[in-house]
Amino acid sequence: MNVIETKDITYSYPDGTLALKDVEFNASKGKIIALLGPNGAGKSTLFLHFNGILKPNKGTVRVNGEPLKYDKEGLMKVRQKVGIVFQNPDDQLFAPTVMEDVAFGPMNIGLPDEEVEKRVKESLERVGMEGMENKAPHHLSGGQKKRVAIAGILAMRPEIMVLDEPTSGLDPKGASQIMHLLYQLNQEGMTIVISTHDVDLVPLYAYNVYIISEGKIIKEGSPLKVFEDVETIRGANLRLPRIAHLMEILEKEDKLPFDKPYPLTIGEARRSILKEFDDKG
Amino acid sequence: MFENMLDSYAHYNNLRNMNTYFKVLFSILTMIMSLISTSPVVPSIIAVFMSALILLKAKTPWRFYLKFLLIPFSFALLTFIFMAIFFGVGAHVLELGIFNLAVTQDGFNLGLLVFARIMGGFTCLAFLALTTPMNELFKTLEIVKMPKIILELAMLMYRYIFVFLDEAINMYHAQETRLGYSSLKKSLNSLGMLASNLFIKTWLKGEQAYMAMESRCYDGSIKTMKKTESIKDIGARNLALLVLFEVFLVSVVYFTANFRVF
Repeated sequence: MNVIETKDITYSYPDGTLALKDVEFNASKGKIIALLGPNGAGKSTLFLHFNGILKPNKGTVRVNGEPLKYDKEGLMKVRQKVGIVFQNPDDQLFAPTVMEDVAFGPMNIGLPDEEVEKRVKESLERVGMEGMENKAPHHLSGGQKKRVAIAGILAMRPEIMVLDEPTSGLDPKGASQIMHLLYQLNQEGMTIVISTHDVDLVPLYAYNVYIISEGKIIKEGSPLKVFEDVETIRGANLRLPRIAHLMEILEKEDKLPFDKPYPLTIGEARRSILKEFDDKG
Repeated sequence: MFENMLDSYAHYNNLRNMNTYFKVLFSILTMIMSLISTSPVVPSIIAVFMSALILLKAKTPWRFYLKFLLIPFSFALLTFIFMAIFFGVGAHVLELGIFNLAVTQDGFNLGLLVFARIMGGFTCLAFLALTTPMNELFKTLEIVKMPKIILELAMLMYRYIFVFLDEAINMYHAQETRLGYSSLKKSLNSLGMLASNLFIKTWLKGEQAYMAMESRCYDGSIKTMKKTESIKDIGARNLALLVLFEVFLVSVVYFTANFRVF
């Protein structure tokens, strides 16, 4: 079942630039979906359609099968279901303390104070930021800010979490911690949609990949299938994962018997290399 | 950088966990004492006492505190000099020998009083600023029924001061790298560009922040949780100390009402 479904959505900015053109995007329940695209391809714009911040000029957005309603009540409902974590945590964290920021969403839903407090505590523990309740956001590091931003969304208990470039601006350790957290949340049943241009990280986690370029979805499918189409990937100003690139070179330059689809992760590459050795030996 | 440090000290000092209402009450009452006093004695006592609290109790580094104090001090000193020379009539205490200018008795006393009041009042505020994080002050303001809209604005401003400060510093460094501040003319030019750029950025950021808030069901008012502290937590001992101290100040105000240096 698709929890998010967009049908032919087209959106242009008030100044007339076309940002999205006939975009079809489906996120199936309980999976991690990645939206890959270069800068300015329309990733963030597409995401803002998922919870009704932007309204498409044409086409429909469905959440859990129901078309989005753009009245006050409908928006309240969809925003509880679909949580968006923004790319720059400084845009999202506005409150003077971590606790108040995480409590913002649940307070807006209208939950009683005890429940809010419980959720704040849980969410902060979940992202490993317990004990930081009274810190000011500007005393946190980039990775910590990101985690607080995620906690702020978690506290609303959404079914679907949408993250715009969750690893951008983080050091490798911070990035892998965030991805690990998302993986765990996904294991517990949350549907996760991430936009990124980090092609090395995507195949590790994603179930399905969409490639967006200049406002259009140009490719869709499992990571293996999408990265098989090397020309499209490169045409969209993206690249193959390093591992796949290595395998491609080994095949083309050194005539080693690796074939498409190229392995995308270290594990897969290791298996196919060992297999080669075994066959020879 | 200065603002950043000020904020850090407010968050991490030895009086951070003292009841906020107590701190607010203490500094405001003491400031009122400093203002109603008609002689410089009480304000001076307050300035010394507050400084001692800040340095010895809250353990704010004295270098930073002196720097912090320098701004109001220079302002107060200027006021004192001008008042001493240009205010009041009466007996001359000191002839300056140019333009027939002289320090008058009236002027000197008035200047000294204003100087003492500035320093007394400022140290009270400094005590609050250096021991209490802003977010706790906001909560106190809520109790005294400050309109919500003002509080929300203050909250957002407080948060984004640091975001834009960072941006401004980054832009400044970027300009400096390209020799943007190598002469006075270039400096003015660069500073102008920095300011206009920052203005546009605030606009864009504002829009982003609004979208992020909308995503979390923002409906136009920021709801806050119940307070964790209450005025009742001040405690009898602290309250008694506070009352005693203020009564002491009032009596000193009364007995030194007519004290004059000249």
